[in-house]
Amino acid sequence: MSDFIVHVTIMSGLYALLALSLNLQAGFGGLMNFGQIGLFACGLYGAAIAFQFDLSAISGFAFAIVAAALLGWAFASVGRNLQADYWGIVTLALAEVIRIIATNEDWLTGGAQGIGGIRPFYFDLDSQTRQIAILFTVLALVLAAALLCRHLIGGRYGLSIKIMREEPQLAASLGYNTITLKRQLMAVSSVLAAISGFLFAHYISFAGPEQIDSSETFLIWAMIVVGGLGNNIGAIVGAFLLQFAFAFIPFVKDWIGLPTEYVAAGRLFLTGGGLIIFILWRQSGIVPERVGGGRYV
Amino acid sequence: MSEPVLTLEGIAKSFGANQILANVGFSIRPGEVIGLLGPNGCGKSTLLNLISGVFPADAGRVIFCREDITGLGMDRIARRGLVRTFQLPSMPRRMTVAELLYAASARKAGFRSLFRRETDEKAEIDGLLDDLALSHVRHLPAASLSGGQKKLLSIALVLRASPRMICLDEPTAGVHPNLRHHMIGLLQRIRASGITLLIIEHDMHFIRELCTRCVVMDRGAVIADCLPSQLTSNEQVVEAYLGNARQKRAMA
Repeated sequence: MSDFIVHVTIMSGLYALLALSLNLQAGFGGLMNFGQIGLFACGLYGAAIAFQFDLSAISGFAFAIVAAALLGWAFASVGRNLQADYWGIVTLALAEVIRIIATNEDWLTGGAQGIGGIRPFYFDLDSQTRQIAILFTVLALVLAAALLCRHLIGGRYGLSIKIMREEPQLAASLGYNTITLKRQLMAVSSVLAAISGFLFAHYISFAGPEQIDSSETFLIWAMIVVGGLGNNIGAIVGAFLLQFAFAFIPFVKDWIGLPTEYVAAGRLFLTGGGLIIFILWRQSGIVPERVGGGRYV
Repeated sequence: MSEPVLTLEGIAKSFGANQILANVGFSIRPGEVIGLLGPNGCGKSTLLNLISGVFPADAGRVIFCREDITGLGMDRIARRGLVRTFQLPSMPRRMTVAELLYAASARKAGFRSLFRRETDEKAEIDGLLDDLALSHVRHLPAASLSGGQKKLLSIALVLRASPRMICLDEPTAGVHPNLRHHMIGLLQRIRASGITLLIIEHDMHFIRELCTRCVVMDRGAVIADCLPSQLTSNEQVVEAYLGNARQKRAMA
């Protein structure tokens, strides 16, 4: 059981990194990015491709970070003058393009079979110690990412992001180039998503196109909507809550006596149901965004 | 005589077949307070939108501080020191008044601010809030202010953007007379600090109290450029506002 809890906690931590990244974009910046999983793919395939071509993990990491930052910049640049909802559709399409490329470019990505056998971190340790080491690494990274997000949002830069989200015309009339602000925010937040993907590939030892399906993006959305849009703690709470809820669905299924196929349906129900319930009745999420009260009041 | 701070040359703008502005041109000198007047639909707000870069002109040039700013976006024009307020100011729901005032100084709040030590601007912002009688609402979400308070706040915001010239779109519309009096005092202090003002306004008392010159528009063209005291004696202005002279001529 404890191995299982450690595994779920590691997965929750990896999703928390993704949720923090999306929360920077959507929660603070108002950017309706429905292609978040495409940024995760940069990290996932950065690790896998480096492994496939016998390159070091560090070079894979560097590739992942640069590719994600460039892709985030490109996301913000494509359709930069579109309204938020139309831009969201563009990002969804871009993420699908990435998934289709990953499925079809066998020579690079292993195609539909993916790339397996990626060397895990702490390879020299026995499996139980390795799990604990990975757990602490992931939790340390989540803490570091949360502190980074707090630094980004807690100061003047955070205020510029919020004014862009709230009143873009007012922001422009005061001298803000909102397109540049969006590009910078996308590039920075994409790095967090890439780190999550990179760790995921080394943890699962596999990278395949089914891991970057668009439904994953909506799971990350559900995490930040349930946890609290515009609150870093909320993003982490949402990620852990949904991941643990997913992990315990099989036990609930056994307890109620439902057939196995109900597990997948239960996960979908939790994602969709959580989104609907919180959007309808508690838009601010479990941990709402704090308005004021910081160093500027 | 000093160089104009803003010069408009042959400005024209149409929306489809509807010509809003035709060959509009005038200059504003540093420190002047210009009242831009005219009946509803004469093109005042369109002209302000063209000057501030909300949308481009079909023809003509806008020169600000000897630089051609025609066609530049609103943010680039604002960074050059030409800023504006809006007729119906829309304020953030999830930012307090104080946060918004800190954010209004774009030069100090961009991405580079992450790598710089923050300057202490508390005294400046407290002074501004006191000046505008907004100290008691500094911790409230900006969107929760009354219409008049939002108008005052929008003036405070543009003051934080290091302006050389401010364009105000109907600053007193919907504002209580007490606040209106307060606003006149504030704008007189802004004028005394050497900032040039262009004000769209319908309140003649306000115009007389504040403006050094008036530009009157009707049906997309400038019909008068005179002192505030000459407004009532200008037949074209009276005709544009009241329509009496035209009516009398038609009946004759």
